[in-house]
Amino acid sequence: MIEVEGLTVSYGAGRRTVLALAGVSLSVAEGELVAVVGPSGCGKSTLLFTLDGLIPPTQGVVRIGGQMVQGVRRDVALILQDAGLLPWKTVLANAELGLRIQGRRGDVREVLEELGLAGFERRYPGELSEGMRRRVGIARALALNPKVFLMDEPMANLDSITRQRIQDLILKLWQGFHFTGVLVTHDIEEAVFLGQRIFVFSPRPGRLVEVVENPEVGTSKYRDSAQFLARVRHLRQVLVESGT
Amino acid sequence: MKRVVHYLVAALVVFLLWELVSVSLLAVRGRVILPGPVATIREGIQHVSELSSAFGASALRFSIALSIAFFLGLPAGLVLGFERGLYQVFSPLIYLTYPIPPVALLVFLYLAFGVGEAVKIVVVTCALFFQVLVAAQGAARGIPRTYVTAVRSAGASRWQLYRHVVVPATLPAVLTAARVSVGLGITMLYVVETKLGLVGGPKTGLGRFIEYYTFRAELSLAGVVGLSLLGLMFYALLELLERWLCRWKHLGGPGAP
Repeated sequence: MIEVEGLTVSYGAGRRTVLALAGVSLSVAEGELVAVVGPSGCGKSTLLFTLDGLIPPTQGVVRIGGQMVQGVRRDVALILQDAGLLPWKTVLANAELGLRIQGRRGDVREVLEELGLAGFERRYPGELSEGMRRRVGIARALALNPKVFLMDEPMANLDSITRQRIQDLILKLWQGFHFTGVLVTHDIEEAVFLGQRIFVFSPRPGRLVEVVENPEVGTSKYRDSAQFLARVRHLRQVLVESGT
Repeated sequence: MKRVVHYLVAALVVFLLWELVSVSLLAVRGRVILPGPVATIREGIQHVSELSSAFGASALRFSIALSIAFFLGLPAGLVLGFERGLYQVFSPLIYLTYPIPPVALLVFLYLAFGVGEAVKIVVVTCALFFQVLVAAQGAARGIPRTYVTAVRSAGASRWQLYRHVVVPATLPAVLTAARVSVGLGITMLYVVETKLGLVGGPKTGLGRFIEYYTFRAELSLAGVVGLSLLGLMFYALLELLERWLCRWKHLGGPGAP
């Protein structure tokens, strides 16, 4: 579904050029949920923005569904770190935003209900709890009915209970909708809970240093299993050894 | 409703202080220097039709100037602030021209626009235009990237970006700036109306009214009260507009900004 070959992205020009990603190659199969981990500033978000077509590759190729990514695509949705809600729009208008921009019709009420947001349609983001705001952000992406979900730390800065709830929600949605997902995170447990494969990135410039297989994702009570803890320990060790 | 009460109390306090100054000056100098509020209001009511004509003329002039300033200053400021390349080219130009008071160029404005109605509106418009422009530009520069990314990621066109993000994000700051510059606008209005009023009668504007009745102090002061009410009216109007258009700014709730 997603193929990245020799991707290099740099910002700025001249002496101020910053190399964010250096020669990254990876692929994600259709319906696969993968996690990308690495320290802050390792180009994780840059990778997502490039997959979404917001940032053009400096070198290399990005393909989704066999097509070169050139600009944003309708079948790819991005969930931003702080949900990226527009505070001047109601919950309903925020959830509909993507559809409206693309000139599509669709009923988001069903999606809002699915995410436990029924009855809050006319509220503004400023009136919601942080967890609800994240769910509105997810609803906005879900309303587009995309084939690919790109998630930029959707659980960052949440308390641990809310974080776990949103993690469970993402897992449930993935199991229900069979989308292809790329989750960027710096939380090791989260990567193990949600990534069938975990891509480990080095500090800037971001390079793919290791891929950890984690096929148990989605099995019942995975988070409480000994296997899970062992995988977390392993991933932590990989991160230490790769100097990240 | 509570705010109306606040304004009434404030008006009462102003009247009391005014009376106090008036009476003290009378006691010290032995003659009326500053007429008191009661005499002023009595005179104002006796000339109410003349006074309201002057008020109406000034209010119309100010409304037109404010509308033009918004119509030109808002889009120009938003584009200059939001489009990085344009900002670097045009900001020196703005900051060079921004501090020039339009009345300093009055002679040239007479030559360009004549001594009629147009030049009065031009001067007030210039003063308000720069306020709106600079506020819009500053607000547009400060728009958080995440809003822009959220909309761009859905495939928004430039126009959609302005419609869904740039305009609503900057509106509160622009309306607040406009409200704050009402005082400046009224000052400019007074200056052009007195400087250019010699041709017209006292009905052609509050500035001219005040000037015309210089030697009838009570009536002249009634004109000043009119000017104060004019400013208050536009201040309140802009505040109502802000509360109505930017409801999201005035909400309670767990994460209210």
